[in-house]
Amino acid sequence: MSACGAVVGGVSLDNIDIATQAVIQGVVTVGAAPANLGYVRLLDRNDEFVAEMPVSKLGEFRFFAAAGDWTIVTLVPGATKRTPTTAELGKIVDVNIDLS
Amino acid sequence: MSNQTLVDAEWALAHFDDAKVVFIEVDEDTEAYAGNHIKNAIALNWKTDLQDPVRRDFVNKEQFEALLSAKGVSNDDTVVLYGGNNNWFAAYAYWYFKLYGHGDVRLLDGGRKKWELDGRELVSEVPTRAETKYVAKDQDLSIRAFREDVLKAIGVQNLVDVRSPDEYAGRLLAPAHLPQEAARIGGHIPTAANIPWSKAANEDGSFKSIAELTSLYEGAGVDLKKDTVAYCRIGERSAHSWFVLHELLGVKNVRNYDGSWTEYGSLVGVPVAVGDEPGSA
Repeated sequence: MSACGAVVGGVSLDNIDIATQAVIQGVVTVGAAPANLGYVRLLDRNDEFVAEMPVSKLGEFRFFAAAGDWTIVTLVPGATKRTPTTAELGKIVDVNIDLS
Repeated sequence: MSNQTLVDAEWALAHFDDAKVVFIEVDEDTEAYAGNHIKNAIALNWKTDLQDPVRRDFVNKEQFEALLSAKGVSNDDTVVLYGGNNNWFAAYAYWYFKLYGHGDVRLLDGGRKKWELDGRELVSEVPTRAETKYVAKDQDLSIRAFREDVLKAIGVQNLVDVRSPDEYAGRLLAPAHLPQEAARIGGHIPTAANIPWSKAANEDGSFKSIAELTSLYEGAGVDLKKDTVAYCRIGERSAHSWFVLHELLGVKNVRNYDGSWTEYGSLVGVPVAVGDEPGSA
């Protein structure tokens, strides 16, 4: 049975067929430094929660979405930020988020 | 929110050193506990500790007794569970402890996420607890549903699919923090209402108020006087919704289908609905 829980920073792309995935990934920073504590959540086009993960120590995150419009909500102690993005099947979309 | 089965940070801070209170972190990411954790907390691994190593099923009564005995948990201890992912796996463990009849089990509201975002202390020291002789009860099957129960429930009982709308409709096959799977079909069990678990939680992972939770289910047209089966993908998000319905709202006739879509979506010949509507029996 594969788990449902989120891996810190996101699942590795090793052994993943990107052609079948619509990847949204990036790095969360606070000022110039990576956020080493924080969470990113993915909302669908209707603002419904779809997924969430803790960022890695380097502020990294990665979602495997479907093609379409999404919103990333970033939570760090004392701050939140909404970032719209669009995913495409077979593509990796990089979204870097700064909360300074 | 204050509830006998739900404790907040202040309650936790007052009970860290209470020998009869056992804090247990349950998180898929076992590295999280190894890195740091709430003071005096021990850890359970939802997979290696709570799943049979060969079959897809829970550990049996004797294995559960051996596990908790080795972890130093007594029958009369107050067990306080918490974890990441908005307490998904902690809620799953809560349901699991109830399944084997533990008396006093509680959830730390908001789990690890709220604790971290609130800037509260985490430690790296691992406590030692003396071994006990834990005695479990037989599984309480009034809170666990199997596939035959779910098939009989179609169009008769409440089926509540707590996954995201895109998973319910079949547009996604897994939560979007995981690669999308190809081996399983998409969709939901016909007649199931889609009430995502996330609607019961605030952004910091804590549960919404009783009034908000009541409104959530009544607003979705679920008649809670009828028997209810909740499911998701593997049964842990639906354990979160089971906790809301059974423990916070006091709805007694609720079962968690731990086979969930991983099992149902792989069965041959069963009815499946796709799209945003529940479908018909």
